[in-house]
Amino acid sequence: MTFEILILLLAAAVQSGTPILYATLGEIFTEKSGVLNLGVEGTMILGALAGFVTARLTGSPLLGFFLAGVVGSLATSIHGVVCLIFQGNQVVSGLALTILGLGLANYLGTGYVGLSAPGFDPLPLPGLAAIPLLGPIFFRHDILVYCSYILVPLIWLFFTRTRLGLALRAVGEYPAAATAAGLSVAAHRWLGVLVGGFLMGLGGAYLSLAYTHLWTSNLTAGRGWIAVALVIFAFWRPGRAVFGAYLFGGIMALQLRLQATGTQVPSSILLMLPYLLTVLVLVFSSWRRGSGEAPAALGINEEPVD
Amino acid sequence: MAVPLIRLENISKSFGRVRANHQVSLTIEQGRVLALLGENGAGKSTLMSILAGQLQPDSGTIFVDGQPLAITATDKAIEAGIGMVYQHFKLVGALTVAENIFLGRPGGLWLNLRTMQAEVVALAERYGMQVDPAALISDLSMGERQQVEILKLLQRESRVLIFDEPTAVLTPHEADNLFATMRKMTALGKGIVFISHKLEEVMAVADRIAILRRGEIVDTVAAAEVASTAELAERMVGREVLLRVEKSPMEARQIVLKVSDLTTPVLAGVSLELRQGEILALVGVAGNGQKQLVEAICGLHRPAPESVRILGMEWAEFFGRGNRDNTLSYIPEDRQGLATCQGLDLLDNFLLTTRGGFSRGPWLDRRRAAEKIGHLLGEFDIRPADPQAFAWQLSGGNLQKLVLAREFYRRPRLIVAEQPTQGLDIAAAEDVWNLLLKAREAAGVLVVTGDLGEAFALADRIGVMYNGRIVALFASDDEEMVALIPQMMAGLAAAD
Repeated sequence: MTFEILILLLAAAVQSGTPILYATLGEIFTEKSGVLNLGVEGTMILGALAGFVTARLTGSPLLGFFLAGVVGSLATSIHGVVCLIFQGNQVVSGLALTILGLGLANYLGTGYVGLSAPGFDPLPLPGLAAIPLLGPIFFRHDILVYCSYILVPLIWLFFTRTRLGLALRAVGEYPAAATAAGLSVAAHRWLGVLVGGFLMGLGGAYLSLAYTHLWTSNLTAGRGWIAVALVIFAFWRPGRAVFGAYLFGGIMALQLRLQATGTQVPSSILLMLPYLLTVLVLVFSSWRRGSGEAPAALGINEEPVD
Repeated sequence: MAVPLIRLENISKSFGRVRANHQVSLTIEQGRVLALLGENGAGKSTLMSILAGQLQPDSGTIFVDGQPLAITATDKAIEAGIGMVYQHFKLVGALTVAENIFLGRPGGLWLNLRTMQAEVVALAERYGMQVDPAALISDLSMGERQQVEILKLLQRESRVLIFDEPTAVLTPHEADNLFATMRKMTALGKGIVFISHKLEEVMAVADRIAILRRGEIVDTVAAAEVASTAELAERMVGREVLLRVEKSPMEARQIVLKVSDLTTPVLAGVSLELRQGEILALVGVAGNGQKQLVEAICGLHRPAPESVRILGMEWAEFFGRGNRDNTLSYIPEDRQGLATCQGLDLLDNFLLTTRGGFSRGPWLDRRRAAEKIGHLLGEFDIRPADPQAFAWQLSGGNLQKLVLAREFYRRPRLIVAEQPTQGLDIAAAEDVWNLLLKAREAAGVLVVTGDLGEAFALADRIGVMYNGRIVALFASDDEEMVALIPQMMAGLAAAD
């Protein structure tokens, strides 16, 4: 009995970890190019709204999912304009993007609060879903979860095995070396910002199209910030990001279930758990490695050379 | 003879009123090492930056394979086969050797790590180098990193390799390896430019030597025709010296600085005495311990007890006191970094070391300070004469005068000035010299300089530094000793 509950909890961890995973992968992609984007939260919720509204109007959740990514890229392109064209401060610009995104999404979404839209439903994978233990945990989800399984090794391959990935890493580590090699720092950072924004937008859409099929205000509830912290926890590696995202998904799922059991612990304490874990994870990561794994030029604007 | 790989004709480049390069003509030949010798600030780096496409000359032409070519950008230089090994390596520490070498090279979507690594190993072997292509750059020594830089250029099939002070970061053994690699490269038909101020190295590796002084080529000789490093030193510092500054003898009074047997990892028993009313110039090729001596005197590094006494006080006692008025002023070589804050205005820069005189409890009396500095800006002829101007808006000469105005305001009794006129035009340099001579009335002045002309213009006594020692210390009118300075700078004359 308890074993079945555990399986259910782990499956829920995967599901509620998936939006965080998308966002974390997006932020890794952006930070690898040397751009710090603290606007994940704002980008996610704009993606969530765009996906929800598109799915509701067209009836196609897949189109909604895709447009959420496009809107994510559009949102982070604001960050790109500020930091890559006008050499603005990356921290301030990212914070502004978060505030703008949250405000805009909540305002535009007022009329949709409580409404539902067609979304993605679980689609057990034939064969795989029948595997004991692993099947129920990993293979009885919706298609977006399976997409994220493929995305992780793809991003890893991109960074380690492709020419473009190498260039992107070099730009994030030591722009002067990239310039000396004849690469455009700005162009590669744009790529990092836009692809990263696309993935963050997808993360947001997962919340409104698969996790729930509803629109509520503050739908993201701090998941963007968790993603920012997870990037550090993951040492900027996609593989470790999976682990971190499911850990947080697990805590979120756990506190929901604890609340449902009607425990004596005040719900505000339970709601706090994921964020408490965020702090602990950050302390743990800096204690383990320092920030030695971060792209060396992260957050530093590259002044254009005349 | 075949057409030279590269020929520079009458290249000139000025920054404001400073002539960095004037009518420079050079040829770089296939299979030869051309050494570019000169003091810091002689214009070597400017010239090579022009060749590498980072700077544009004001006039003059560059010929590549006999054809005139405008090198307007770095990639133009790479295309023309000109590659530069910078002093600060352009390598990504978190990437491997092979990844760094192939960074930015055209090719398909996928990286073939195995082929890349094999190619790196083959290339390295051809030039007698040994590298692990899979090693991370951050795990490599400076010498190994330099090899990667060289391999990067070789992989791009550069035909001319420019080395900017390549041995500065190397151990002697690594430097020998580098020279062996250079010989291998010339044997395989590359042209090499070797920028340095180290005489022995230039003698060891160069085929031809071009000597730059104050932006001009003063001499080009075949290395085989140079008899000794002393001859080279003489050609580098020059004989003809302008004595355009009038100086009257001063009576030397009490001792303000006494260094006795100061020994550090670099310095080997330096002793000197400096009295109020005199200027002592320390000359020598850069890197022979001048920096360490100045840093010990000025409180940046703690010397052994009883080896440095300032104004009659032990080093620790002197720097333990809070009050620095009427005592020591340091005029560092790095006027944009150590001496001033570029982002602060002139008033704040003025207050950096003089704030003690303008404070009332925790408060700064900025109005009185503004009045004072307004006055000083006029007196020292600093332009713009606006206390609200930022330090970065000032030219080198004006910035140096600001530093002098600030330091002299404190009425120092000991002044330590490092390369006080480096990079300044003649007029500004003369202003600075006159100010230092005037300050001598109340203070003892220690000037560290690589410019013999400056030493003769200022000094009452001259000390020559070589290899961490002061090898000779004599009056500046002692013509016999003055004639020996080039030898002593090269460590040849054992004089006392």
